[in-house]
Amino acid sequence: MKREAGFIPKDGWNAFLASLAKRFNLYVPCREGETILFQPYHAESVICLDRPAASAPKGVIFPQSETLFSFELKKKAEDPRKVDVELKSEGAPQDTAIVALRPCDARGFSILDPVYMDVDPYYRSRREKTTIITLACPNPYPGCFCTSVESSPADKSGSDVLVTELDNGYFLEAVTEKGRTILDDNAIQDGAGYKEEAEGRQKAAHDRVKKAFSGGKKVKISQERLLSDEFWEETTAKCLSCGACTYLCPTCYCFNITDEQTVNRGERIRSWDSCMFPHFTLETSGHNPRTKKAQRFKQRVGHKFVYYPEQYGDLGCSGCGRCIRFCPISMEISKVVAKLSEEGEGSTKDAAEGARS
Amino acid sequence: MIENPYIPDLATINEIIVETPTIKTFRVTLNDPSRMEAFRFEPGQVGQLSVFGVGEATFVINSPPTRRDFLQFSVMKAGEVTTAIHELAVGDQLGVRAPLGNYFPYESMKGKKIVFIGGGIGLAPLRTLILFMLDNRADYGPITIIYGARTHNDYCYKEELKEWGERKDVELILTVDAGSPGAPIREGFVPTVLNEVAPKPEETIAITCGPPIMIKFVLQNLVKLGFGEKEIITTLEARMKCGIGLCGRCNIGSHFICKDGPVFSLAQLNSWNYEI
Amino acid sequence: MNRERLKEAVAEILPGVDAVIAYGQGFDAAHGEPCFVTKKEELEGLILNPLCEHNLASYLPSRKNKKTGVVVKGCDSRTIVQFLQEGLVKRENLVIIGVPCTGVVSAKKLARALDHQTVEEVRFEGETVIARTPRGEKRIALADVSPDKCRTCRYPTPLIYDVLVGEPIESDKDPAAVYDDVRELMGKSLEERKAYWEKEIGRCTRCYACRNACPLCVCQDSCIAETRDPHWQSQRSNLSEKMMFHFIHAIHLAGRCTECGECERACPMDIPLGKLKKKINMDMLDLFDYVPGIVCEDKPPLYTFKVEEKKIEEHEL
Repeated sequence: MKREAGFIPKDGWNAFLASLAKRFNLYVPCREGETILFQPYHAESVICLDRPAASAPKGVIFPQSETLFSFELKKKAEDPRKVDVELKSEGAPQDTAIVALRPCDARGFSILDPVYMDVDPYYRSRREKTTIITLACPNPYPGCFCTSVESSPADKSGSDVLVTELDNGYFLEAVTEKGRTILDDNAIQDGAGYKEEAEGRQKAAHDRVKKAFSGGKKVKISQERLLSDEFWEETTAKCLSCGACTYLCPTCYCFNITDEQTVNRGERIRSWDSCMFPHFTLETSGHNPRTKKAQRFKQRVGHKFVYYPEQYGDLGCSGCGRCIRFCPISMEISKVVAKLSEEGEGSTKDAAEGARS
Repeated sequence: MIENPYIPDLATINEIIVETPTIKTFRVTLNDPSRMEAFRFEPGQVGQLSVFGVGEATFVINSPPTRRDFLQFSVMKAGEVTTAIHELAVGDQLGVRAPLGNYFPYESMKGKKIVFIGGGIGLAPLRTLILFMLDNRADYGPITIIYGARTHNDYCYKEELKEWGERKDVELILTVDAGSPGAPIREGFVPTVLNEVAPKPEETIAITCGPPIMIKFVLQNLVKLGFGEKEIITTLEARMKCGIGLCGRCNIGSHFICKDGPVFSLAQLNSWNYEI
Repeated sequence: MNRERLKEAVAEILPGVDAVIAYGQGFDAAHGEPCFVTKKEELEGLILNPLCEHNLASYLPSRKNKKTGVVVKGCDSRTIVQFLQEGLVKRENLVIIGVPCTGVVSAKKLARALDHQTVEEVRFEGETVIARTPRGEKRIALADVSPDKCRTCRYPTPLIYDVLVGEPIESDKDPAAVYDDVRELMGKSLEERKAYWEKEIGRCTRCYACRNACPLCVCQDSCIAETRDPHWQSQRSNLSEKMMFHFIHAIHLAGRCTECGECERACPMDIPLGKLKKKINMDMLDLFDYVPGIVCEDKPPLYTFKVEEKKIEEHEL
């Protein structure tokens, strides 16, 4: 019978990673200078678990750029003025694992799943081949608001295994069948005896996360404020439309499709795009329905907290706080939602003025 | 393994008709005969045409599902992809990803009077439904078509306009923004002509497509003429990439123009506070 | 940095402008943020201390014909001078509140110095930052957590202003030291430099935060990284594409970059982008004796040409 819980002592952690690396393309949070980012594992990797990585590991399953298909144009023998087109699809992904991402990152995948799993074969095949081994957070980090979206520093959604750091080792909990397979390893001790300690840590971390707004998944967004131009103009006065928020976000999934060609062959690629860029919705005629940054930021917040919930029944934000932490002008999406939600007191006008603070 | 929605079918151009100095109509057939034979779509649905190496753009499937010898697309030269399409010749290949989007709710239009109001290339999606209705003539009441363009040289489907004008069961009213000497066509912007024709709203559905500014005023005038929000239908455009409601560009709130549209009723647009 | 005097100055110019762009408290105790003041009641929320890292001049070109007040430090004022040289803003639309400054705090460096702990409070005493985290209080020398530009700052007093809030300050920094870090890098071999930049730029996510935060980046929707006409770059996320974007961006800023550091501040991957621009500025200084953003009446050297350039050797015709 497969184990539900495991334990690895502190000095066994590196061996655990090395053994995973033998079975999977392994991605771990590595330290490069002052930045922590997910990179493929190798023996010299400087792995850092002190704090969440700068960017989410979203790119492992939903790559920043990937080839949808390649094409080749061949001249027809009988009429060299005409070309034949040949389309080729790319190969299958390999077994992959991501280790020590945070629950907000893993939850990001469970937010992307309903969008892509039944429609997009590229996402689906990578997702099916990836094992997610998440590290619970011992405390909140600047900007974090996971509990406001009904997540938590030990949220299991999207994960196959949840790891909780204890004083003398790591407690592992299997969340899915894939997770149980990971724990089915002689090098991992039985974890049942550590469960209580781990749960205590998880609860303590949960209680330390400040609530930015109430209502959780059912947070009620005021229609009046959502549609108020004045509210969004005031809120976005300081925004630079830099787009950093969308590239670091575990749940942003807007993309672009472009053809890249050299002479007679090329590829159609999908690449990350950002709703915050001015030309995102620019039409050939020159008309742009979201020409103002107020409209674009309304789209970003609206998408995560109104439109995605309408389509998929869950919030489209995992509360990771990266967009707040890395924003050059301290835009706080959690605060905007608080102001938008009906709990925000006063009229829309007051909220608009308050939005500037 | 789920079907890959990003890979187009290869198709060959059989015929090109030059409609106006900037608009060409392309008649294509899918290279795979079994896929061409099995191809089904509804009037109003669109397709993404690919020129490999350049990109894709969205066009309504211009021919009706009752006439499936070829698929027709009318393309106005405007940007990178449309310019590349205009440079193709008969026998050249392109990619077709279709059918996408929703379609005209023709079932609920049965037995009613229909008023089509089109401008310029906006006649393209209307043509699909007009031909579909003419092919199922008994199902629909009297049909009125109000169509205008800048000048009579800018009319699309000149041959068909002539045919429709000659039919007893179709009322065709043509107009131009600016008349030319010798051409016996009424002068006036489409929304103004609509007011002059003043179709009665009872048991009537109004369907309009054209430049955004024209649609805006036509919708206003239809409401003033007494048409209900649910009886006014239009099609919207946006910058599109995936065509299947994923890439996040063409949405109005939680509705995607590519997937939940491009056909919408005024009732829907009003409920979303959408302004043309 | 005198907050009371700043509040008075803002209150005085407020009636005559559409908004005053100043600084407020950011999302936590260790961050400031830009603040658009339109009402007297908002003055209480203003801050003026070393958390005021941001270059508020960035917002000016998009304000177009609206009369705008703006608070600028010395480095920020160079951006305004550069805007005036290039015709990107109209002087008559600006009311500039100059703040003499001896250095700000880099929020990123402060976070590092505090081991990325949650910051509960930040105070300033002279040239010392006192920060409180769950681990307790820590005293840090301001100079240790300043952005690199502060260490070699030659313009502590704004070069252009309508109101000066504070006494003018003379720079005590060696002008030659500005490009010390570039010279150090240039002292390495070509292979070493290539490896250095490949490693740093390898982290780039092509998020374009650097480009969008740059006050002088004017290509907007026609950015070479994304246009298809001409189609120079693909959307592939690989090293050569990233290098190309960054080098082109730096070259587009030749003779224009005022070294305000916004690009580095905005970069979520801590790429030392400033060095690229400083290298080009170093060359511009050498070739044309030109420093960007100093004299309003100057024109950037690449806007004009002389038939005979003093320092460029031409072949004999």
